[in-house]
Order: sequence, then structure tokens, then C-alpha cells
Amino acid sequence: MGRAVGTALLFLTLLNTATSETDYSPPGRPKLTSCLSRDKETFTCWWAPSDRDDALQTTYALYYLKESSDVVYTCPDYRTAGANSCYFNKNNTSIWVNYNITVAATNAHGSNFSEPVVVDVAYIVQPHTPENLTVVVLGDKDGTFFRVSWESPRKADTRSGWITLIYELRAKLDGADWEEHFAGQQKMFNIFSLRSGGTYRIQVRCKPIHGFWSEWSPTVNVTAPYALPLGSSMWILIAFFSALIFLLLTWILNVKSHSVKHCLFPPVPGPKIRGFDKQLLKNGRSEELFNALGVPGLPPMTHPNYEDLLVYLEVSGRDESELLLADANDPTIAATTEGGKSPNSPSDSDSGHGSCDSHTLLMEKCGEGEEVKEEQEEEQQGDGVAVGRSYGGKQRWERRGSWERNQKGDDDQEMTEGRVKTWPCVFAPLEEYAGSKALDHGSTLGTARLLCSSVHSIPLLLPTPATSPSGLHALEQLHWQPYSRSESTIQSPEHKHRRQQGGGKTTTTTTTTATTATKLTDVAWPAQPRSPFRATEYVEVQRVNQENMMVLRPLSSAQGQREGAPQGEVDYSRVKGLNSGDGLLLQRAVDAETQEEVEEGQEEEEYPCDIQEKNSLLGDERYTAPPAVPGQMTGAGKLSMGLPTAVSLQGDTILAANGYVDTAVAMMPTH
Amino acid sequence: GWSFAWLGALCLVLRTPTDTVRAAPICDNGQASCQVLSLADLFDRVIQHSSRMHGMSNDLHSQFEQYFLPSRNHISNRVNRNCHTSGILTPNGKENAQRLAGEELTEVILKLLWAWRDPLWHFHQSMAHHDDFNSFSSNKALVMGDLVHELRTGVEKVAEKMQNLGIISNLVNGLRSPEQLLPSPVRPQWSLMNDYDLLFCLRRDSNKVQSYLKILKCRIVPENDC
Repeated sequence: MGRAVGTALLFLTLLNTATSETDYSPPGRPKLTSCLSRDKETFTCWWAPSDRDDALQTTYALYYLKESSDVVYTCPDYRTAGANSCYFNKNNTSIWVNYNITVAATNAHGSNFSEPVVVDVAYIVQPHTPENLTVVVLGDKDGTFFRVSWESPRKADTRSGWITLIYELRAKLDGADWEEHFAGQQKMFNIFSLRSGGTYRIQVRCKPIHGFWSEWSPTVNVTAPYALPLGSSMWILIAFFSALIFLLLTWILNVKSHSVKHCLFPPVPGPKIRGFDKQLLKNGRSEELFNALGVPGLPPMTHPNYEDLLVYLEVSGRDESELLLADANDPTIAATTEGGKSPNSPSDSDSGHGSCDSHTLLMEKCGEGEEVKEEQEEEQQGDGVAVGRSYGGKQRWERRGSWERNQKGDDDQEMTEGRVKTWPCVFAPLEEYAGSKALDHGSTLGTARLLCSSVHSIPLLLPTPATSPSGLHALEQLHWQPYSRSESTIQSPEHKHRRQQGGGKTTTTTTTTATTATKLTDVAWPAQPRSPFRATEYVEVQRVNQENMMVLRPLSSAQGQREGAPQGEVDYSRVKGLNSGDGLLLQRAVDAETQEEVEEGQEEEEYPCDIQEKNSLLGDERYTAPPAVPGQMTGAGKLSMGLPTAVSLQGDTILAANGYVDTAVAMMPTH
Repeated sequence: GWSFAWLGALCLVLRTPTDTVRAAPICDNGQASCQVLSLADLFDRVIQHSSRMHGMSNDLHSQFEQYFLPSRNHISNRVNRNCHTSGILTPNGKENAQRLAGEELTEVILKLLWAWRDPLWHFHQSMAHHDDFNSFSSNKALVMGDLVHELRTGVEKVAEKMQNLGIISNLVNGLRSPEQLLPSPVRPQWSLMNDYDLLFCLRRDSNKVQSYLKILKCRIVPENDC
């Protein structure tokens, strides 16, 4: 029986042991992880069980010894501080006393003691985090700052001086690193140098003098107010720079405006022929060009009295220079005088028209004819009326009427019609005129008069009796100078004209240098006869070269010759009429068979800017009327009526029939 | 050098007749440039001294520990560490310290400070002989002695002022000979202590002094700093 019990017990024990493996070994060694005091009055110790221990089977006990005592105490409180902890309250806590603490893990098979830990409560103090962290934004517009304030942790008795805490706070911008500030024992701190508009996170912690840092307090977010970074000095800088920029813009505009104004309002107007299409001219379509000029209302010339058609042109070199082509007695021409213009518009005070306005004067001068010419050549002085072109300012040709001339003897009147500006005059003998029957030498001479202002001496183109019937002299040379407002120097362009269809006779050219031009100062009129003067020589103003020389070339039947080399026989010496825009309508007399009218139109106001610069005004755009084929008097009949702008010619055309078409000057009624 | 200045000043002070209880400012004639320190200022000075003393003792202890005793457990597990000042009854908690009267607390402080006068001097002597101990610690030991001395005199001044102000009653021991404050055992225990224990005890006692002074100050002169 006893043996059975014994074996049963043994069996049970074996069974017992066999079932539970953990029961075989004592528990692992626990470990005291930390002992901390929050207030230097109480403290807590925590331990960690061994890894291999089964928590359910193992119990833990904490034992401690106090300094200089052999009494073993056990933990008074296992619960307050949680699991695996021991809490020592005030009664059980002695400061400045070494505690020797041990934890024992016990299971069914044994116990295991941890490593002892000796602590002095005075040196294991880790307080709670500071409380009531508040941030206040202070400051004015000049600067804002944060005032961070907090309170000591609730359990740490700093009021009695038992614990002395020091504080530390940190602030962080979004995306930046923490910035730590040591605050010492004070419970308030100012943070400056804020970034306006930035959001800051702020935390604070504390520590006793000899102890451990507490945990960081909960974050307080605060946003710095938006402050205008611009102080008063910044505004001053901004105002200064904007004023600078404004001045710069104004200056630039000023500079630019100058050129723009220069462009828009060229100082020197060139002669304008209304209806003159520059583009057509460039295109080389002289027909179209002259068609475009189209003088409406110009009655066709039907063998008019060429004397009546003599047009006296006075070239004015003034700013509003106009050439007045004063018709002698042509009623038509007279009618064509610009309304409003006193027939006798002798020398304007501004234009300086002078004696040339008088017919008589011209008569005298022109009547000299060759003598005059020759004299003039020597004299280097011309009084003829030349129709020229002025460059630069607005100069227009005025064409008065036909080149009615002194035949009537009272041409002065007409001649003075319109305003004659000081202008060198150029005569381009009209072939037709020359060939007209109506012209006799005397008349041709008369017809070949040029209205000149006293200022300008204009080479006269006078028909030579010896030459073709027209007997017009061809102007040998004209030197034109570009006329500008400031100066009234006209230099006639050099041109060569030669005898046209006429024979080889050449007439001396009278190149009168406009030395007498008071206004035109530097008009140089080379008085050398270049080519024999022909009776009728029609000159076409080819172009104006660089020296502002009006290059005339004798007109031939050829058209559209624009090159400087005189060639061909384009006669543009017919003035077809005046257009409304004060353009001289020149008729280009081609061959007898064909006549083209080239009319010059007054240059419109929109004088291109480049004209001044190029001084090529004349060449491209002005045509003298093509010289009529000698012997042919197409004259007025050839005025292309299509010119719409030949308004000034009221009534009769101002065709210088076959007469002299100086470089056409359209009358300037309005100028 | 400072200690001698302090001693000189102390002699001057002590020469004044003690029957007349009055505040004995250093400057006698009430000169304008001379300011009488208030009790609060005295307390602040004394507390600063004690903080300095504690910090230095802490450094000494840790240095000694690192240099001589790398294995901490070997020493720190010694529970029975007999400081020669163990015989002085000191409050071991805040409430205990608050229960003490001002005079008693002041006496405890003074006892502690007196108790360390000789050991520190001897400690300095012994440090000087240890070649392996760095000179820095040796100097610190010397400075330590001066500090304790200064602190003691300061506390005595404070005590005197408090007595003059009637805040505390006359100290039991008064300003008698310091030898009376020493522990009763004739043979000083400190001679038996090794250096390390001495430093350990020094650190603790300086901590005590600092804490007691703070409690005393905040009780007698309450301010925002408390």
C-alpha cells in the first residue's frame, strides 16, 4: 500500500515535471532598469523580467537596504507606478541615503536576484515637464517677438527651494532645425528675430542642478505676424529707384522722340508734287506715275499759244518755298493762280521774294537770253527763274501757269502770281516749245524766262535763236543745294542737258550761280558752258545725287531713264500743270508719236524721311516733263489729265506746252 | 589668498564687542560708498558659495572615480560608508528639514562646515603626494578647502545677522570655539577614511548644505527665486 502510494507520488511528480518544462529552472535574472525621482521626495524603480521568463509563473519582489543599516526592506508599493515597478512614498524615502535595491524573480523552481543598484535619491531626480507653456506675440511694427512663459512642473517643489530647476526651450520653423535657448532658472524667455509669417513650434524642458533633463513639453504652435519688411528706409530706397527708372524712361523716350519727330516732321520739306507716286516712280513706270498724278480738270492742250503757256517759275528756297510759276498773260494761267494768293505776291517777307517777281525784271533778265546767259556765265550770277527743287524742307514747286512770257510784256504780273520763293530756277526748255511754231525767238526767249527770285540765280534756259525753234536754252548746269529751313542754299544739281532733238547745236548753258541769292547762300552755279546749247533742250531731272545736285539730263524720247548719266532724249520739260498739292505736273514729251506725260506731283506731306537723307528726291520722283519732240508741240495737249492733283491749274493747264518745263514746280497755292 | 582676507575681516569683525548686538557692517562710518548687505543678499552670496562648493566636490568625486576606480560597482555597492559626519544629525528629507527650526538648521549647517575644515586640509596634503593624481584635482582640493572656509564664515555671518535681527534665537553653540562642534569621537574618523570615501562624503555634505541653506533662505527671506 505504501509502496503503491510512493510510486504514485513518484509517478505524479514525474508527470508533473514532464508536463511543464519551465518549471524545471528557476527564473532568469531580472534587471532593474531605472530608478527615478520626480520631486526629490519620492522615487520609483522599474525592473525588467528576464526574457525567457514566463510572466505568469514568476513573481518579483524588490528588496532594499538602506545605508548603514542591515535591515532588509521590501517594496512598499508595487502598484502605484505600474507593472514591474516599486514606488517609494515620502515616508519611505530618505534623501542623502544610499539605497541598495535588488529585485528577485521567483518561480516554482527558484529565485533569481538582479544586480543590486545603489541609488541616492538626491541624484536621480528627473522632474516632469514644465507646464502651462504659453507664447505671446509682442512687439510693434518695427519688430515682433515671442514671449514664452511656463511654469515649473507640478510636483517639483521649487517654491520652498527644495529643488532648483533650470529650464531650456527650443523653437523650430517648419522645415528648419531646432533652435535651443537656455533660460536658466527663469520661467520666461523672449525669442527675437522672427521670420514674418513663419509658424514656430516651441517646447520647453527642465532639470535640477544635479539631475536629469525632463521630457520636452507638448509643442505650442505660434505664427509670427506678417510684417512689412519695408521700413521707412526701404520705402525711400524704393522711391529713389523708381524715380530713377522713370527718369531713365523719360530720357530714352526723349531721345527716341527726337528721331521720331525728326522722322515725322522732317525739317526740310522737299518739293511736293501732289499725286506723285513715288512707288510708281521707282517701279519705273513712268506712265503710270504720271497717270497717277493725273491732273483733273486740266484741259488738254491743243496747240495752245505757247506763249501763253509759258510758265514762269520761281523757285523759292525757303521752307515753304514755292515756285511760282507766274503765267504771263495767260488767262488760264492767271486763273490757275492759287486762290487766295495775291497775284502780286512779290517778295514775301519771309520768302524773300524779290525782284524776280516782277515780270519786268525777269523780262530783262530773261530777255537777255543768251546774252544774259553768257553774261551770267561770267557773272556767275543768275537771275533767271529756275525751277528747282529744294531738298530738305518742304519745298514745292510752284507752277503758275504756262510759261507765258514776256511776249505779253506784262508777265510780271503773272509771274508774281503765286508766291515765289527764292529758288534757283531752272529752265528746261521744252522741246515742244522749241518746236512750236508759236515760239519765235523772241518769244522763246521770253518763254524761257524763269522767274527767279533775287535770291536765287537760276540758270536760265533760254532758247537760243540759233538753235531749234524753241530756242530755248538749255540749262547747262544746275547746281542745287538742298534747301533747308535753316539755310537757304540751293545748289543746283548738276545736270547735263544737251541738246535734244535739235541739232548738234548746243547752246551755251547758262548756269547761273545763284550767288545773288540772298537766301541761298551757297548756290553755286557753275557757269561753264558745258555743252552747246541747243535751241530746245529738254532736261529731265534725273535725280539728285549725293551732293544734292540735281542731275538733269536731257530729255529724250526715252522714258524712265533714271540713271544719272544723261542719255536719251527724254524731254520732261513740259509742265503739264499744277496739281492741287502744289505739284508741278510735268509732261514728259516723248517722241512725237508718243507722248507721255510725266507729271510731277507734289510731294505729299508725307515726305519720306529718307528724302532728306538721301537727297535723292529729285531723281526719283521728279520728272520734268519730257521734252517734246522737237518740232512737236505736244505741250499742253499732253498733259495727262489723269493727274488728279493738278488742281492748282484751274482751267488751263499749265502745261508748258512745249515750253519750258523746268523741273517742275507745282504751284503752291497754299504755301 | 582670499581665505586670509576673510580671516582678516573675520578677526576685525570678531573684535567688536559682542554685547552690543548690532549689525556689524564692514564699513563703520556709514560711508556712502559702503553698503550694508541685506540679509537676502547675504543669503544669496552664501548660497552661491555652497553651489560652487557642491559643484567642485562633484567634479572631484567623479574624477577620482574615473581615475582610480573604473569599476563602479565595486565601490558603489558598498552600502556602509561611514562618513565622519555621520554622527551629525541631519534631516534627510524636505519635510524633516522644514520641521527644524531656523536655529537648528543653521547649527546643522555650521556643524557640517566645521567638520570639513581639517579633513580637507589633510586631503589636500595627501593629494599632493599622489603623483598619479593630476594636478588639476590637487588644485581643486586646495580650492575646496578655501571654499569651505569661506562658506563657513559666510554662514556664520548670516547666523549672526539673523540673530541680530531676532529672526532666530541665539544659537545653542553660538560662536564658540569650533572645536566644540566637532564630533565627539576624539579620533577623527576622517583619518580612517580613504580618499575616495572622503570625496564621496564631501559631495554629499555639500549637497546637504546647499539644500539646507535654500530652505532656510526661502523660509526667512521669501522671494520669487524660491
